[in-house]
Amino acid sequence: MATDFWASSHYKRWIVDRVTLREARADDLQYVDDPEYFTYFSVFFANVITKLGKKLGFRQRVIATAIVFFRRFYLKNLYCETEPFIVIAACCYLAGKAEESPMHIKNVVAEARLFFSQQPYGVKSFPSDNSKLAEMEFYLVADLECDLTIFHPYRTLMALCEKESSGDLMTEAGEVGVCTDDGPRYWGTGEGQLELPDEALQLAWSIINDTYRSDLCLLYPPHLLAITALYLTLVLHGPTGDLIQQKSLPASSDSNSPRRSSRQASTSSLGSKRTPQDYIGFFAGLNVSMPLIATIAQEMIALYSIWERYREDVDSTTTQPLAGSPYSATTQGSSKRTLSDSRSGSHSRVGTPVEGMDEPRKAEEAGVITPALLLRVLTRMRETRLSDLVAHSGTGRPVAINKMLERTQAAG
Amino acid sequence: MLDERSHTLLQTDPMKIYRAKRDAAHLAVTSKYAILGFISSGTYGRVYKAQSVGSDSVMYAIKKFKPDKEGDVVTYTGISQSAIREIALNREISHENVVSLKEVILEDKSIYMVFDYAEHDFLQVIHHYSQTLRIQIQSQVLKSLIYQLLNGLVYLHSTHILHRDLKPANILITASGVVKIGDLGLARLIYQPLQPLFAGDKIVVTIWYRAPELLMGAKHYNKAIDCWAVGCVFAELASLRPIFKGEEAKLDSKKNVPFQRDQLLKIFEVLGTPDDKEWPGVRDMLEYQNMKRLDPYQNRLAEWCQSRIRSQQGHELLRQLFAYDPDKRLMAKEALMHRWFQEDPRPTWKSVAITPFISLLLCDANAGLIYTYTTVDSVFQYVPTHQLPPQRRITQDEAPSMMGVPAPTQPQTQPQVPAAHIHVQGQHLSQQSQANLSQQSKPGSTTSFASVSAGVGPTQGYTTGQGGTSRKKARIA
Repeated sequence: MATDFWASSHYKRWIVDRVTLREARADDLQYVDDPEYFTYFSVFFANVITKLGKKLGFRQRVIATAIVFFRRFYLKNLYCETEPFIVIAACCYLAGKAEESPMHIKNVVAEARLFFSQQPYGVKSFPSDNSKLAEMEFYLVADLECDLTIFHPYRTLMALCEKESSGDLMTEAGEVGVCTDDGPRYWGTGEGQLELPDEALQLAWSIINDTYRSDLCLLYPPHLLAITALYLTLVLHGPTGDLIQQKSLPASSDSNSPRRSSRQASTSSLGSKRTPQDYIGFFAGLNVSMPLIATIAQEMIALYSIWERYREDVDSTTTQPLAGSPYSATTQGSSKRTLSDSRSGSHSRVGTPVEGMDEPRKAEEAGVITPALLLRVLTRMRETRLSDLVAHSGTGRPVAINKMLERTQAAG
Repeated sequence: MLDERSHTLLQTDPMKIYRAKRDAAHLAVTSKYAILGFISSGTYGRVYKAQSVGSDSVMYAIKKFKPDKEGDVVTYTGISQSAIREIALNREISHENVVSLKEVILEDKSIYMVFDYAEHDFLQVIHHYSQTLRIQIQSQVLKSLIYQLLNGLVYLHSTHILHRDLKPANILITASGVVKIGDLGLARLIYQPLQPLFAGDKIVVTIWYRAPELLMGAKHYNKAIDCWAVGCVFAELASLRPIFKGEEAKLDSKKNVPFQRDQLLKIFEVLGTPDDKEWPGVRDMLEYQNMKRLDPYQNRLAEWCQSRIRSQQGHELLRQLFAYDPDKRLMAKEALMHRWFQEDPRPTWKSVAITPFISLLLCDANAGLIYTYTTVDSVFQYVPTHQLPPQRRITQDEAPSMMGVPAPTQPQTQPQVPAAHIHVQGQHLSQQSQANLSQQSKPGSTTSFASVSAGVGPTQGYTTGQGGTSRKKARIA
């Protein structure tokens, strides 16, 4: 199961189509004026999970698992009827156990309570009682249908790429721990590795991190996301792109030459001299649908342009607002960085020094989406939903709610 | 917009509506299953025999995890790591020789895992042969049991799952005679772990089945520990008693793992003291100096096997499963291909009974002989009916239970049927006389082995979780 994705619950039950995603948000949609808010919720909550995960000392794979749990939960539940922050804490607590990195419940409660009470979240109602989080975990596991084994693209990436140097990227990144033995790949020929400079590998890793800020992890099998991230890396990463250019010229003039396997290429590049690899042949050998990869790539790129409007650091009082990350804490080193970070520096964020207290408002007026705005939208959704439930009782008294409460109490 | 009460609700219990919705949609365990009786209990909770309500009425074993309590109040304290593992692994696996999880029900602070029902287990079979039939297990049955066990283990290992608690009580057999590996409560994935295995559980595998590298304090271990346990189970089936029946040294007050002197001695008495040549890694092990201080022993496994296994190939398989060096120990896949399984009598497992049948209907000159194939799965295929092990005994549950009948109003009126009472409290039979230990009985076990095996010889039933010789394993999560 660890190796056979096709036999997994992930593949059999949790890869959904866009119609399912739309239906999951249908009721929520009544309470927002713009469906695009949900795109920003996705980014925002993934970032909250990432930050909380870091505070708990989780590796990237644990964080990614928590995010997938969160997305699966909201396939079945409504933002307007739930409190995402307690769901987030439960997802992190459960992901720690599911990924064999357990964290004591009281630590999770303490960290989550402290973290969520801070700005911009300002969550005052997070329970201090362990049993409240444990109760949420219980319901969460039921909503997840007990499917707790998640596949992630990181593994595919590492299986596909040969490291140029045995830097600390892998251990830091957390996907590959003490690997007692390697399993076979679950797709393609299982052969051939791409040799990438560390920088390019990090870029690919960052692109994968970014996919968790959307619903892509629900839509596509992880290996396709990994291959797409690699594909985008080859296109976007300057030096690597140059290598392809160099390669493609002789290749077109000498099309009869047999394809060089990447393994050969890697052994011959042990010195400082680097032999160009056959990138196109590499992708062809993966045995996946390249049109599908192109589609996913397009969806990823579309997300980056939507995210341009999203900013998390506007109300930060730090004097270096741009060095940090809008989407993730960067204190852990470069491998945690996202593509958006590296892009953001040269785009909208250039030249926005700290201007004072009303800066967030100004930003919003300029069409920028901020966490504060999203939280206001969320609160409004939940309040309106509740008053709708109350109003449906017809008497103006919260009968529907009362009934539900009675039922809950009766159930203990 | 909102009245005060609603506003308070959003502040104090924002998930109340969500829970009310979920609770309203929930189907109760007892609405889906009729509980027939209590099977066994352990540190994890209790197991019940149940029947699905409705037209199909299939038998199931429902494992109810012990709900957490603070004082007398049942509360949520977080699902244990071991329950999470067992649930997560069982949801992904599917193999004919691994017990199959039908569903998990989370209800009223308790977790219920619904498994396919298995009528027998290895421990019960051992008891049946040693106490009731008083004969050795027939070679073919023995071989079939081990073969199917290995077949299931090959699957688990191919999916990178270590079982970590293989022992006779955890290996089940269905009424139709198919072996099913059960209880993945201590199992875990070893594929690219984020933390070393040692970090999670300091002690794995019940002491008698624990591999030497674990006893020697290895921090890293692998699939080979399960293969050692298969060797122990094999030997136990052959001799009808545990081959290495050591006394477990307990954790000290600081939860330090002690040197398992007695268990190692029991192993050395049969397999000899390991030397650096056959197990080069032994010198680097934590307990090497402690081991050096033990009296030296010679290997006498061949002698041990002579009367018990009666096959050179069988001895050879056991020898390879008992290789001291984990790297040299036979892997499950290799063991399954072992020549012992290819010599007569063959194991009954997907083996094909071929019946020649002359085709009269097909007037095809080429048709000639037509063979009909029937698959023979049952490990008891050639066991006379009167020798088959009895059905699993179920009892009324004395503990506060899911059976719906309050315990005090349900006195123990059921007759105690000797020899049918097998799998209670994880008790293990033993032919060794330990008369100094009084018989023990816990809630749920209406009798102990000592009382049901009267006339057969001095026996001792002991209970997990109590003093004396116990095969309790520590679960440190």
